[in-house]
This record gives sequence, C-alpha cells and structure tokens, in this order.
Amino acid sequence: MTRSRRRVALAVAALLAGGALTACGGAAGTSGGAPTTGGTIIYGHVQEPPCIFGGWIQQAYISRQVLDGLVAMADDGAVKPWLATEWKVSPDGTKYTFTLKDGVKFTDGTPVDAAAVAWNFDYWENHGGNSTAKVSIDPYYKAAKALDATHVEISLNKPYPPFLPLITQGYFGIQSPTAFKSRTEKENCEKPIGSGGFVVKEWKHGEEVVLTKNPGYASWPANARHEGPAIVDEVRWKFVADGVSRYASLSTGESHVVYEVPTVNWKDAQARYQTIRYITPGKPVSFYINTKVGPFSDKLVRQAFAYGADRKAAVEAGFHGVIPYEGNPAVSQATPGYDAEVAKAYAFDPAKAGQLLDQAGWTARDAAGVRTKNGAPLTVKLVYGAGFIFTQEGSTVLQVLQEQWKQIGFDVKLIPATQAELWGGKYSDPSTFDATPSYWTSPSSAILWIVWRPSTPDNPNFSNRSFFNNETLSQTIQQANGEADAAKANDLYGQAQKIIQDDAAGIGLYTQNSTYAVARNLKDVWLEKSQGEPVFSDAYFTK
Amino acid sequence: MNQVWRIAVKVAASVAVIVAAASVTFFAQLAVPGDRATALMNLQTGQEKLWTAQELAPLNERFGFDDPILLQYLHYLGGLFQGDLGTSYTQKRPVADVIGGQLPPSLILTVAALVVAWLLALGMTLLTVRRGRFLSGLGSAWEALTASLPHYWVGVVLLVVFAVQLRMFPIIGGTSAWGSVLPVLTLAIPLAGFLGQVTRDEFVQVLRQPFVTTARSRGMSDLGVRVRHVLRHAVLPAITLSGWALGALVSGAVITENIFGRPGIGQVLVTAVNTRDLPTVSGIVLVVAAVYVVANLLVDLAYAAIDPRLARGAR
Amino acid sequence: MSALSWPLRARAWAWRDRLPSLGTTLSLLVVGFVVIAAIAPALLTDRSPTAIDLTSTLLPPSWQHPFGTDDAGRDLLTRVIYGSRLSLGIGIGATALAFLIATVLGFAAALSGGAVDAVITRVIEVAFAFPALLLGLLVITIRGPSLATEIIAVGIGSAPGYARMVRGQVLAVRQAGFMEAAAALGHRRLPIWRRHLFPNAMRPLVAVVTLGIGQSIVWASGLSFLGLGVPPPSPEWGALLDAGRLHITTSWWLEILPGLVIVLVALSVTALGRTLQNRLGGASR
Repeated sequence: MTRSRRRVALAVAALLAGGALTACGGAAGTSGGAPTTGGTIIYGHVQEPPCIFGGWIQQAYISRQVLDGLVAMADDGAVKPWLATEWKVSPDGTKYTFTLKDGVKFTDGTPVDAAAVAWNFDYWENHGGNSTAKVSIDPYYKAAKALDATHVEISLNKPYPPFLPLITQGYFGIQSPTAFKSRTEKENCEKPIGSGGFVVKEWKHGEEVVLTKNPGYASWPANARHEGPAIVDEVRWKFVADGVSRYASLSTGESHVVYEVPTVNWKDAQARYQTIRYITPGKPVSFYINTKVGPFSDKLVRQAFAYGADRKAAVEAGFHGVIPYEGNPAVSQATPGYDAEVAKAYAFDPAKAGQLLDQAGWTARDAAGVRTKNGAPLTVKLVYGAGFIFTQEGSTVLQVLQEQWKQIGFDVKLIPATQAELWGGKYSDPSTFDATPSYWTSPSSAILWIVWRPSTPDNPNFSNRSFFNNETLSQTIQQANGEADAAKANDLYGQAQKIIQDDAAGIGLYTQNSTYAVARNLKDVWLEKSQGEPVFSDAYFTK
Repeated sequence: MNQVWRIAVKVAASVAVIVAAASVTFFAQLAVPGDRATALMNLQTGQEKLWTAQELAPLNERFGFDDPILLQYLHYLGGLFQGDLGTSYTQKRPVADVIGGQLPPSLILTVAALVVAWLLALGMTLLTVRRGRFLSGLGSAWEALTASLPHYWVGVVLLVVFAVQLRMFPIIGGTSAWGSVLPVLTLAIPLAGFLGQVTRDEFVQVLRQPFVTTARSRGMSDLGVRVRHVLRHAVLPAITLSGWALGALVSGAVITENIFGRPGIGQVLVTAVNTRDLPTVSGIVLVVAAVYVVANLLVDLAYAAIDPRLARGAR
Repeated sequence: MSALSWPLRARAWAWRDRLPSLGTTLSLLVVGFVVIAAIAPALLTDRSPTAIDLTSTLLPPSWQHPFGTDDAGRDLLTRVIYGSRLSLGIGIGATALAFLIATVLGFAAALSGGAVDAVITRVIEVAFAFPALLLGLLVITIRGPSLATEIIAVGIGSAPGYARMVRGQVLAVRQAGFMEAAAALGHRRLPIWRRHLFPNAMRPLVAVVTLGIGQSIVWASGLSFLGLGVPPPSPEWGALLDAGRLHITTSWWLEILPGLVIVLVALSVTALGRTLQNRLGGASR
C-alpha cells in the first residue's frame, strides 16, 4: 500500500549487472546474449492508480508508456528533443517556441500538431486536467498558442528557466484532443490516446494493465536507446502490493521486472538480477517542523530536535543500508542546485541538544525522564502516513529515532495517519501536529518555491507545512527561479537551503528512491531521468 | 395464498435489510473527519494539504458535496431504487461497473473456500468422531488449532512455503484455477476448524440417540450409519453457520486478496474506504448484504431439505 | 441456533470429567503465563521492549535472544511478552464491549417483544450482513488508529453474533417452567428477571465469552496486520506480524514466532472455553 512515489529518477543507477559495473547511466544491462524481437514483459508494480494519467506519480509512471512529452531529460540533466525537435527562448525569457516533429500521429490517427499541444497546456492549466502539472508551472505560465501546424508558443509571465526541465515530467504527456473530446470520461480515464510506444489494450482492474506496442511509433525521444517502435509486443503491468510476492515472482519467472525491491532483499537482488536504484530529486523525505504552534515555535527546540537523534544510523538500520541518509531537508542530493555543505549541519550531538533545551528553558524532568517547562511536558506529535508514505521500513526508522529522542528528554508520540485521514485534511491545521515527514519529487530546485512560498491570507500556500514565512527566503528563491545563469541560480538555491536548515524549519531524513530488479535476459530497461518512470519501448529479451 | 404472503414479506424484509446496510454505510462515511473534495484533490495529486475553495469548487459542484446531507442521501436512495449505485468519485465509472468486474473473483474465492471448508470439516468429522480416544482427540485438537489460525498468517506461510520455496503454485496466480488454490486454502482451513467443531459436538450428541442404536441393530455398517443417519442431523447447526461464514469470508477475502495480489472486491473496498469513495463503499456493502441475504435464504432451504420437520416453518 | 435449548440436558458427571485433561492443563499453563506477562512483564524479562541496539539487528534465535532480534536490534521475546498486555487487553476489552452491546440489545428485544423486538432483530440482521472487517475499517477511518479504536472496532464487529445468542437464550429461559412458577407465586417482574432470568440466560454464554476472547485476539491482530492497529512502537502481536511480513524469507523468526504465539494463545483460550462449555453445558453458536 505504498502511495505516491512522486519520485524523479536521477542518473544515479550504479548498477551491478551480473557483477560487472555497467557504465551507462540509468539503464539495466546492455550487453550479452543474442537479442530477440517480440515477447511479453511482465512488470510487477505496487499501486494501482484510479486513472492512467493524472497528477499522481503512480499515474505518471504508466502514462509515460502511452503519452509522449514535448521534451525529455537526458541522464546528465540536459533537456533533449522529443515531440519537439527544437525550441527557441525569447531574449527576455518569457516566450518558448517549440518546433514539432513532422508527421507524428496519435494512435487514433489524428496529427500531433501545435493546436493539440496548445490544447493540452490549456487543459492542464485551466480545466483541471492535471493539478500537479499546474502547480509546477503555475505562477509563471500565461498561455499556449499554435503559431502554425508545427509551431507552438508558450508564454510566461516572468522568466522561468526551470520551465523546460519541469515539463519533462510524465505529467506533461500530450493526449489527442479529438479523442479526449469525443469519448466518455471512462474511456479517457482507462485508455488515453497519445502517440507513445504502447497503447492500453485492456485494464483488468485489481490485476493488471495490458499494453501493446504501437507499431506506428515514430516519436521516440532523442535519448532513447534505439530508434523505432517497441521491440517487445506487450507489457503486462501487474499490481502486486505485497513486497514478498513481488520480489519472489522474479525468481520463478512470473515477472521480468519488479518495482520497489524490499530493502531486506536488495543484496540478494544485486547478486541475482540487474538492479537499478534511483535517488529522486526534489524534496527528500524530511520533516516539516511546525514553527507556528507548540514546542517547535522556539527555534532552539527545533535545533535540539535535529541534533538529538542519530538520523543517519536510524536510516541505515531501517533500510538495511540500501537507502541513503539525507541531511538536507530542502532538496535531495540528486537535485540540481543541491548544497552538500548544508546537508552536514546538525550531526548527532546529544550534549549539544541538551544544552539547547536547557537554554530554551526545558530544564526540569518528570518521573519518566521527559523534560518539562513550567510543568508542561516536552511532548511532540509526530504524524506520518502509515503504510503508504511510510512503509514498515520507514516506520522502523521513526521508532529508532523516537527512542533516541527519549534519551534527551523528548516525549515523541508517533501518530500513524491513514490515507483517509491525511488526504481528508485531518492533520492540516497547525494545532494537530508538531512534525510530519513528507517528500515531493521534482527535477528542479524550483520545488523550493512550491514548498516554502510564504502563506498569506490572500494567497495561501498549504504546501508550506512548516508554516514558515520568511521574507528573505522568499526573495532568494524567486531570484533563483528567474536567474538565467545556472551557476548563479544554484548559488541562490544553496542560500535558500541554508536559511531553511539554519532555522531548522525542516529536518532531513532520507532520500526518496526507486529501486528496480530486472531479469538477466531482459536488456535496455531504463528509467527516464526526471521522475524515474520505467521505459519499456527499448527493451528486448536475449536468448 | 398464505404462503405467497409469507414469501412477499420475507423478500420485502430482505430488501429493507440490504437498503439499510447501504444507508448505514452512507452515513457512517459522512462521519469520517475531513472533506471529501479535499481527499479527492489530494488523491489526484499525491499531496496531503488543504486546497482553496476555488480549487475545490469544481469537485463540490460535480458531486454535490455542498448539498444538504439529507438531499445527498435522498439522491442516493432515489438512484438505488432505479438500480443506479452511483458513480465512483475516483474511478469515474459507474459503481456497478467497478463492483461488477471485481465481484466474480471474490465470489468464486469465498464460495470455493466454503465448499472446501465443508469437505475438510466433514471428512475430519466422519473419520475421527468416536473412533477411540486417540483419533477423536487428534480430530478435536486439529479443529481447535485450525480455528485459531489467523487468515493472514496462514496466507503468508502458505505463500512462502508452497509458492516461493517449493514452487508448487504460482506466486502471482491471478484468478487462474491453479493460482486460486492457496487463497482458497487460506480461507478454508480456519473455517473448516470452526465448522468441524460445531459438527463434531452435534455428531457426538446424535450418536447417542436411540435411532442410531436401532439402525445399528438392523445390521447397518458403521459408515452407513454415520453418513445416512447421523450426518444428516449433525450438519444442521453448521449449515446455519454457513450463512454467517459467508460474511466472515468476505472479511477474510480482503486480507487474502491483499496477500496474493488477487483481484477482488476486498482490494477495491480498502482503497475506496481510504479514498473516501462513498458510493463505491456503500455499493460494496449493498452487494455483500445482498449476497448474505441470499445465502441465508439458501440456508433456510437447505435446512428444510435436510430436516423435513422444519419445512413448515417450525423455526 | 440449535443447541440453544433450555433447560440443558442433564448429564452424568463421571469422576473422570472432574479432573482436568492434559490439554486443559497445558492450556491453563499457557493462559497463566500470558496473564502474568500481561500483569507483570518485568517478572519475566529484565529487558525493555523498546530498547534499540543497532549493533545486534536481525539476529536469529539464540540462548541470549530466544526469539531473535528485529531490525532495530530489539529483543523479540521481550516485545512479545510486553505485547501480551495489549493483545490480551484488546481481546478482553473487545469481547466485553461486544457482550455489553449484545446483552442490552438481546434483553431489550426478547423482553419487549412485539415491534421493539422486530426492530432490534432487524438491526441485528443488518449488522450481521455487514462484513466485520468493513465495520472495523469504518471505525478506524472515523476515529484514527489507536488502542481504543481497535477495541471498539473488534467489539462492534462481533456484537451482532452475540446479540442474537443472548436474545435466543432469554426467550428460551423465559418460557422455562420455573419462570412461570415464579410468576404464578406472585413475585414481581424485576426481581424475577434479576434472580432467575439473567443468571440462567447468561450462564451458558460464559463459555462463549471465553471463546470470543481468543477470536478477538486473532481479529485484532488482523487489523494490525492491515496497518490499522495500535500505533508503534507498541509491541501488539498483530503489529509484530505486520512488521515481520517483509522479513519472512530472510529473517523467518520475525513472522513465524509471533504468529505461533497468537495461535497458541488463541488455541489455549478456546480449549479452556470448550472445557468450560462442557462443564456448564451450554450454548454453541
């Protein structure tokens, strides 16, 4: 029952294919065995989304198989041509003119033209088509306009260099407007029409989605591993929620690729299969600290909390050494503009934590060893999404931390929240929690603006779950978002991360990851870089 | 005439039970804290935050979340009587569609489990009751043990032993016959323990009855007596239990489907509760209640068939 | 509901029946052990159930750690011992709640008769048609996961079955000869109910209660297994199973041993319940 995974895959992927380290970025195995054509890939995924496309990462994973984007992200982070062969940015940075590949058709036979692309942008932004796509580009996006059949112009309110990397995400898959407008909502939900390498043949709810190859595929991205339609005939995208079953199905040949390898099985997987581990860029799994209400409204207490537990050791124990610790609460190590220095703050130091708490006035201790101030105990309500954001492995991490925080006098209450509670808004009010861990993947440090934009009555920002309104921070991020020079932008993003870290408005924990294990006779399964969506259109079996 | 009237009353009462179950679910879900439109937005975006009234407006408008609750209920009820279970908030297709696709695998699973449990229980009873201290003891111990097994634990153990280690069965079996063996056993084994216990008690009592001695004195074989005379009486309480068991099996099916990754109503139910997909949850309850009511009608019929004395409504 | 006949069959009690059998003795031992663990866990172990030790994670069973350790280096046996208070508490609490509801409903229905009886019987019927797990899910989504929620969820889920039994018992006892005799003697209604009806109707259900505790423990652990149980780091048995699930192919003890404990305890409680049932004579379902 893991929700989510708004993960973006970074190059990463040091993969041990058959013991030999392959040089190529995010792909699984490229050598050995005679290639064959045809066949069916059985892929074991975790969660079943309500529709094939939408603003949830679970939807981006699968819609990537069916829908093509305008541009793609290469392993080095560079933006490459896809449906757009080239693009021009106006000198003031507010107009993007994309030239579309000629002759590409949606699988319903209608052309992928400028009008179709403009319609998609309008649909996401103004007709509730994809709220995550919308929030990624929202304050900057102005309009999309077809100049002629093959040229589309997107205009922005202000310069926004992260615009290009952001639209490489799966949320920005282009659909056929003709099909969308002429079919029922159910058909659009289950079988969206794009120009991608596969089409949805059948969705057996609760079991699998069957994807068959699009024989007329003509619009692979520039960073594809081969040119032409998919090599295999079919992909059976199965939903196997149980980790034990999912991983074991590889060993019996019932699947060829599985997502989210349980960390206890990772070593075994490395020895027996090709493995891919992607660290997702964007906000890592880090705590939002409630700076508005409760004990953490005092900065000293926040800092004591950060110093007070060996987060690195806890992460290593809970995830069996597979998933990296991330000390930077703002962005993960896979994000362009990540500041490694910022991540080093607040190394485990219980003495320092004690000192800070003394300084903040939490000097007395009650019978249970919990610190008190004016008779009130130092209790922290730590709310987390049980079973979907935090798997059992993550829950172990929290329990280890809780025990360590206890030593320095924090009484941390772990409050597992169900999906219904968390999504229904039970823990939205500042009075309901003191700390809550969460992540948000994005291929750009521009995520900082989404998360940390100050919340005002006129323009509330409910994503700012630390309730941290800091004018300097706000200015710094806005400046970075508009900065054309990448080095300067990254420097500004670094400053922003430092402000958040110094104030302990967030506390880092670990990186969000995608792990995959791939059977040895299946080559060229790779993850696109912006979000870690698996790509099957280049994959082939070997004999 | 009287008979027809009685059946009519019974059917009406059954329909009332079904509708009441769905209505209770409807209101229980409104008691869940939080806002449905917010939950939907968060589901669509993978967030856990608040949204502005402006962002929520289209959803509120579309599903009528802002209407008075009574109006929403009447609307739902009106739909029910026209055979419309409503539209799933999340899957955007009719609830009947959502459930219809998932019902057959769940029904097959539960009915198969019930049959297998009966076979196991009867076999055990016939073979071990009053067969000497040792066999009898073994039989009751086995029943008590299996009746104490948690479904999910049996499922995980069966999966690991027979599918992962011994590879006798597929791990992701889906709805294939071979792949259904382990899920069916997972549900059937604990239930067989229950049914066995009840049947055994009754069996022992019946064996003491005079007509059994009579039958034996007529030179009937031991097995003949057991099957023809004793069993007939001994299964009655367990048959009553079967109606109840079907309800319990639905609960067990949720867990079993989860472990074996099997499609079915259980998965849909858990997801729907989590995403506050009210029409879907109510629809599932309605269907389960209907199955329960039908099963209990069948139980009544079976009862009458086995024990003719009861045919004229002596109950 | 066939065995709900009253008065119960008179039975010849052979002297042998008075001695506890081997099974009963073993069950008593197991239950006694768990009760001690629940009341005074510190008597059985001097370790802490939450003490982590990151240098000794995932150790297989040994003399030092008879049940092995988990991925935070906690001693599993200690956790199982401390968990018995929760699991037993949930079992007893849920069954008590279920019986409270059942007694009120059952008596009200049976004693009022007429329309009230018809309505309550229908309500029970509707509740019966509800899958117990769904009731649990709904209670949990309404209240959020906690110890109290789990007790309520399991209690409400199992109440309808008991309510039906109580109603049947009361009806049966009410028609028994001694009740009419007492009424004929001019005793007032309330004292008759208190002195005769209540004890006679409830006595056969004592065994059913015992059986119910075992089942409630199993059910509660089922909810925990779906991740909807008592919040961590509580070592409730179902939560231990949930945590052990991923480890079953690599560290089997984390899943198998707590599972065996649940089975053993449920089995023992059930065995005791049945012994009691045979002694008291009485209601099966």
